Amino acid sequence: MSIKRRTVLTGSAAGVVSLTSGLAAPAIAQSDPIRIGYLPALTGPSSSTGVGINRGVQLGIDEINAAGGVNGRKLELIVRDTQSEPTKAVNAVAELTQRQKVGVIFGPVNSGEALAATPLIARDKVAMLHPCWVDELIDVKKYPMAFRIAPTNTQVGGGANFYVADVLKLKKAAVISDTTGYGTASVNTYVPMLKAKGVEVVYQGHVDAANPDLKPDMLRMQSAGAQVIMPWSVNAGFLSRILNTRGAMGWDVPVVGQTTLGSGQTKALLEKPENWNKVYSNNFRNCCYENGKLPARAQEFVDRLKKSKIEMGDTLLWWIALGWDGAQMMAQTFKAAGTKSDEIVAYWNKVKDWPGVYGTVTWTPEQHNGFPDREVVMCEVNSLKDGAFNLAPGYSS
Amino acid sequence: MFQSIISYGLAVGAVYALIGITYNVMFSASRVFSFTAGMLGMLGGVLGALFITEWGLPAIVGLVLVLACGAVLGIVTEIVTVRPVLKSIDQHLYVLSTLAFALMIQQLTAIWWGTDARPFPRLIPVGAGWLDQQFWLPMLACAVTIVGLELLYRKTLIGRAFLAIAEDSYAARALGLPETGLRMASYALAGMIGALAGFSGAEILLAFMGNQAILNFYGFVPVALGGMGSNRGAVIGGLALGVFQQAANFLVGGIFAAVAVFAVFIVVLLLRPEGLAGASAARRV
Repeated sequence: MSIKRRTVLTGSAAGVVSLTSGLAAPAIAQSDPIRIGYLPALTGPSSSTGVGINRGVQLGIDEINAAGGVNGRKLELIVRDTQSEPTKAVNAVAELTQRQKVGVIFGPVNSGEALAATPLIARDKVAMLHPCWVDELIDVKKYPMAFRIAPTNTQVGGGANFYVADVLKLKKAAVISDTTGYGTASVNTYVPMLKAKGVEVVYQGHVDAANPDLKPDMLRMQSAGAQVIMPWSVNAGFLSRILNTRGAMGWDVPVVGQTTLGSGQTKALLEKPENWNKVYSNNFRNCCYENGKLPARAQEFVDRLKKSKIEMGDTLLWWIALGWDGAQMMAQTFKAAGTKSDEIVAYWNKVKDWPGVYGTVTWTPEQHNGFPDREVVMCEVNSLKDGAFNLAPGYSS
Repeated sequence: MFQSIISYGLAVGAVYALIGITYNVMFSASRVFSFTAGMLGMLGGVLGALFITEWGLPAIVGLVLVLACGAVLGIVTEIVTVRPVLKSIDQHLYVLSTLAFALMIQQLTAIWWGTDARPFPRLIPVGAGWLDQQFWLPMLACAVTIVGLELLYRKTLIGRAFLAIAEDSYAARALGLPETGLRMASYALAGMIGALAGFSGAEILLAFMGNQAILNFYGFVPVALGGMGSNRGAVIGGLALGVFQQAANFLVGGIFAAVAVFAVFIVVLLLRPEGLAGASAARRV
């Protein structure tokens, strides 16, 4: 048998491959920090959420590193502030995936930036953990490496609808939004869900958020027999006008809707403090007071926040908890499965009833939205204490 | 319902009228439609809330500072966005330059002040219902402005110089009038009127960066309806717009109210392109 030049070359190449794959990686690599891509919006007009979430992420990483890290390796956040701008997020993704070569990315934390960044992260085949609510961010076919540790917008609307139909047992609702994409999309999605639960939508409308006088629309709702107002908007000015007009009309009807109803900006625009009574906004069961007490998991977390002197007065507990859960989830994954994207994804596809402070997470290969419906609840907006609210009245334990 | 239409309609209409006058004052001095009018109105509310609520200054000091800021911004508008494009006014580059400047200021406001609306203080705690300050203050500001402008233009030398520039800038310059200085003064005056519009209407409209676009659009309608350059036309057009808009809110509601307003606006312009109070321009043939 003759030995050809090609055979020698092929054999040599195979030998080199087998040798290098059999060798242990250099020892120094095993002590390198595990790098996590992180895309918060820490500055810019929509940064309040990012600032709150960031406190939880930083605390979680600091705690893990103080306890020795993961398998002897520290966690290192590669932070790129998206500045509330999708273009900044897109540039940061290119750097994190192609130059820094991170195995996982947490964020972006704002919807606009997440919508722009997600296809790019998916294209570069990097695992990503979403804290955003926009439904379109999770699609196991288009983005098989993307997982959500928070509820979807559909779940958020479903939580409000459940409260109106099944807890308050009201039969006639007025659903209103501003004319933004979020507002109109929310109304168009939530109204059919509300009708499916047997609630008659007696008034449905989109109003220019800059309209200074909402009395005409409110009178229409009242004359139509609405028993509850459900506004979908993130505009504090618009929401406060609804509450102020309700107060001026002396109309004692509950208002049930988006989290901005309970924001400090909305409160600052109220003509009277009592205009905030009977107002219920979205929240999360693990982060709400029930009979004056937080669930054990959340209380333990709040104690830890106080001990670490984490500021809670200017933010919300669930924002911090969401960031902390993200850090814990990633650390647990590195420990159990590894730090490569495909190892992370394989592990996440089997996560079941993971007990976060913010929520209990379950993922499957077919479903990467991990937040349970039952934990999306409503809270009393005028009950803020240590960043958390009272569970709205009527829920069973 | 009638009371709400009249009180809200006239109050908001007075703000639109003042923004319309702001457009006119800048237009008269330079033949430029400066789309910074809405920006000045937006800043009137934001700066008023900053000076009075955030910094705790007395209301009168806050008002004076707001007017001063408006004047400075008016002058900056003239220097940065109008003067460089005057030589090629036929190309309408001022649309781009003034709009770009206004958007830049709005973005800076969003970053520095925030994107959420904030409250504007009740300055004079007397009166309730339709006698509340939020309703009469814009109307008072509008009345003071229109009377003040009439006195300025008719009784003072500088006012006559403004009119001369507006009438024929070449002839005025040939007579030795300082065209550039008068144009800057006109923009400073416009800046003050725009800022006053936002300040007087801020209890209704709130201190909100998003007001810029609304004031730019709805402030332009009375100018087009009343005739370009006509302050009286802008006042009548602004008040009519406010009342009609509020009536449409009650009659058709929601986003259809805005549709109704612009439908009427288009119909009026189709029937009288020169505006309700404007005169057809004669053309020498």
